[in-house]
Amino acid sequence: MFKILLDRKEPNMEAVRKHQNFQEILAAYNYQQKVNNPWRYWYYPVLTICLLLLV
Amino acid sequence: MPLQFSLQQQSFLPSEERTQIERAQQDPRYFAPLYERYHDAIFRYVYRRVDEEEQAYDITSSVFVKALQSIHKYEYRGLPFGAWLFRIAKSELYQSFRDQKAQRTVSIDKVVLKQVIEEWTEDYTEQDKARLLMALKDLKDQQLQLIEMRFFEKRSFKEIGDICGLSENNAKVKTFRAVLKLKEFFHQKE
Repeated sequence: MFKILLDRKEPNMEAVRKHQNFQEILAAYNYQQKVNNPWRYWYYPVLTICLLLLV
Repeated sequence: MPLQFSLQQQSFLPSEERTQIERAQQDPRYFAPLYERYHDAIFRYVYRRVDEEEQAYDITSSVFVKALQSIHKYEYRGLPFGAWLFRIAKSELYQSFRDQKAQRTVSIDKVVLKQVIEEWTEDYTEQDKARLLMALKDLKDQQLQLIEMRFFEKRSFKEIGDICGLSENNAKVKTFRAVLKLKEFFHQKE
């Protein structure tokens, strides 16, 4: 079931721009990429082991 | 009040947009001009379909995050980039309704409502307005979407088709059928 709203006031373009900007979206995207990366748990242990082997 | 939804109101050259898309496919930071161009239209599309402003911002944000995640898959095959974004917005909206994070809402201007009624009856009364609102509730969701886009948002059939994944002709036919259905329900409420 849906709701009907009559003559609803919409925020103006400037208010919308102030509320949300591309940098926030990009940050959210970068975070998602980091979280979705399956190697994120292995990266530092593997790097440490490689360094230890090199030493 | 002029509606600011139309994709056709965007006056950028497709070649310029194509270059911007190609750059954004290489590096997400170059998505900024595309974001600036479409953010307001996508926000308003979402805003008119949910009851709370904050939810509209949240859904708009996830639309653009999803767009960034899948822009590498975008290929121009006749579907404008704006319509591709609207399809993501539509899918995000329906996901929110399924997850019960947002309430499906239809935002209507009284002036538009009056115009629709005046095409069907000689005199516009408050009773007719109530009848039309009740008739809208009897429509199937796809029919409601078509009526919403065509009459309440004044979109062209081409745009409606692009957003719904229909040809322009098919959008025209389906909208016409939806109007007939609405008219039938409207007269049944007498």
